[in-house]
Amino acid sequence: MKMATTMETVITVLVLIAIITSAGSLWYGLSVAGDISKLTDSMADLAGEMGDLATSVSSVATSVSELATATAENLAAITGDLADITGDLSDIADRVTEIEATLTPTITVISGWAGAEMDAFLPVLERFETLSGINVKYTQTRAEDLAPILPAQFAAGTTPADVIFMWGWWIEEKGQEGHALEVTDLVDTTDFLPGAFDEVKVGNTIYGAPWTGKVKPGIWYRKSFFAANGLTVPTTWAEFTTLLADIAAIPGIIDPIASGDGVGWPLSDITEQFIITYGGPQLQRDLIAGTVDWTSPQVKTTVFEEKLVPTLGNFSDPIEWTAALDLWWEGDYGLYPMGSWITGMVDDPTDLGVFSLPGNDGIVFAIDYFFIPAYTKHPEEAKELFMFLASDEAQRLQVRAGGHIATNIDVSLDEYPAIDAMIAGLTTGKETLLDLDDAIGGEFQQTFWDQLKLLWVSPGELDNVLAAIEAVAP
Amino acid sequence: MGRKKITARKNFPLFFSPAIILILFLVVYPILQTLFLSFLSSSGEFVGLSNYSEILSRKDILNVEGFPKWPPLGALIHNTIWILIHLPLSMFSGLALAITLKDVKGSSIVKSVIFLGMITPMIVAGIMLRYTFTERVGIVTAFFDVLGFEGLSKTWMAYPNTALFALIFGSVWLWTGFSMIVYSAGLATIPKEYYEAAKIDGAGPFKTFRRITFPLLRPLNIVVITMTVLYDLKIFDIVWAATYGGPGKASTVLAFEMWLQAFYFFNFNGAAVIATLLTLLTSVVTIPMIRYMVRR
Repeated sequence: MKMATTMETVITVLVLIAIITSAGSLWYGLSVAGDISKLTDSMADLAGEMGDLATSVSSVATSVSELATATAENLAAITGDLADITGDLSDIADRVTEIEATLTPTITVISGWAGAEMDAFLPVLERFETLSGINVKYTQTRAEDLAPILPAQFAAGTTPADVIFMWGWWIEEKGQEGHALEVTDLVDTTDFLPGAFDEVKVGNTIYGAPWTGKVKPGIWYRKSFFAANGLTVPTTWAEFTTLLADIAAIPGIIDPIASGDGVGWPLSDITEQFIITYGGPQLQRDLIAGTVDWTSPQVKTTVFEEKLVPTLGNFSDPIEWTAALDLWWEGDYGLYPMGSWITGMVDDPTDLGVFSLPGNDGIVFAIDYFFIPAYTKHPEEAKELFMFLASDEAQRLQVRAGGHIATNIDVSLDEYPAIDAMIAGLTTGKETLLDLDDAIGGEFQQTFWDQLKLLWVSPGELDNVLAAIEAVAP
Repeated sequence: MGRKKITARKNFPLFFSPAIILILFLVVYPILQTLFLSFLSSSGEFVGLSNYSEILSRKDILNVEGFPKWPPLGALIHNTIWILIHLPLSMFSGLALAITLKDVKGSSIVKSVIFLGMITPMIVAGIMLRYTFTERVGIVTAFFDVLGFEGLSKTWMAYPNTALFALIFGSVWLWTGFSMIVYSAGLATIPKEYYEAAKIDGAGPFKTFRRITFPLLRPLNIVVITMTVLYDLKIFDIVWAATYGGPGKASTVLAFEMWLQAFYFFNFNGAAVIATLLTLLTSVVTIPMIRYMVRR
């Protein structure tokens, strides 16, 4: 019985457990069903929203499509516009190129000519401007002032001008150092006087070209002054000394001869004439070459002691050379030793007369040279001007203005003013020589000029003067 | 709020560095480079003192044989002569003018005219001097001509025995304005009571000058002497414009010879030697002055 009871209890418990489990399961199942129902509803909502979204996406896609179409159309339009602009720019560039071709640079020329000398030179440059369309700016600086400036400029790889007039020896020196353009192919040396290129030529390489030359024929006088005072041109040394005495006796005359002074060169010109006349043309060459000493008897005795020094009492103190020119022209002095360029500097060139020291058979023909610095920024234009300056046309323009003798042999004597034709004629039968101090240059030139200034006022210093010159001579 | 106390000493390097950098690059480096160059040959080899020997043996620089004759005696002696003549003349004429014009009404106009020499470009002044001493053209030669001094009525620049003196006397005219202005400023600082007391004590003008004016102007003497000597040592422009160192080197000076060596003969090593000598000479003058100023 007890066992049956136990069994009943167990069964009851199991039934209860089953009931409870079933009820729980039922309750759970019902709650899940509710959730599923909710989920279904949510999914339905979601499906609805997705439908809306799909509609929106479709709408956006349509918009994007429309936009893409519009953009493509716009890009096509822009591309077309860009093509037009590019075409316009190309036209502008072509036009600028055309304008640039017509706008050539301004090139600069430096020479030492100022005042009347500059006025005579400028028409040459103006002619070049007309022919070439290239603008040229002219600047005046003396060679002796350029000499200390240019080396520093060249060392810095620059230049103050595109074409520069300078001493021949200097151009040769700078050419060898690479500072001057080689111009061998730009000139025909057969168009020029023999030897005209010697100073700017090393072997077969040419670094510059000769411009016109100036002769240093001797001593100038006014024909009217000689006529008024009954003076005549001397043909012997005795007549020359008599002439000086006669001029000194004329009332109002300060000294018979005016001494021009620059940094010393006008004195060197007349000194060279004494050397050439009384020492001979070969002595001038020997002194340039350094084969004869300045203290040797043929220089010291023959030239200085016997001729130059005894006449120094007739010379004025050194006066600035353009001022001396005016004073001489106005009658304060009777004679004026100077180069041929003064024919372009006086009011009435027809009143000019000139004579060489009696017995003279050599004449200094000093050529002005020009070159193109290697550092020019306009080499083609500079070469064009260089070739023009080396032409007979340019030299013809210059000699017509007076004071210059052409080095180009195609310039005929008919082109010269009468006085210059006469001067050019002075060279006939005489040896033409290089200017002594221009040919040597450097420290010699400065010392030569300075010592002559001393000699002019202190003739007793002759020995010291010659010794000082010899110390720096080649 | 605490503020950091800035002391000048602490910030010395900060304040001085810009100036020191500039001085190093623009002064010290060129001086050292010039000094270095003076010991080299033109090809760049070290040659010791041979450049100095060569330059000092040039008659242009030191012409011992010129004694006891007159110029040329060499640039070194010419500069010395320049100092010996120009310094006392410009100093005392400036002092005399300052004292004379001290209480004069309208003296500022006169002082301005005298000071014109100081502001005239030296190149212009050189050209003016050239004509001032030219026969029949210049006022100085005309003056001596009127007085009958034939030897002094000629063109001074053309003759070796007068060219240097023409330049020196010309530079006195150019420089007197400086000493006059400096002394005028000094005179203005001397209290009037000193002069009144001296007057009461019966001191005459000379004694007043000797006992009061001159002693109180002593610091300014240092300035005037130093600046004048430096001016004389560096003189170049008027020589270049008026005489080009001639005739026969009779008026050449160190700075002109330096220019010739560098830019005419292209002997940069020789020019460096002269530049070094000039630096040494100017240092001899300036260092004592700087020491004096620092002590004060």
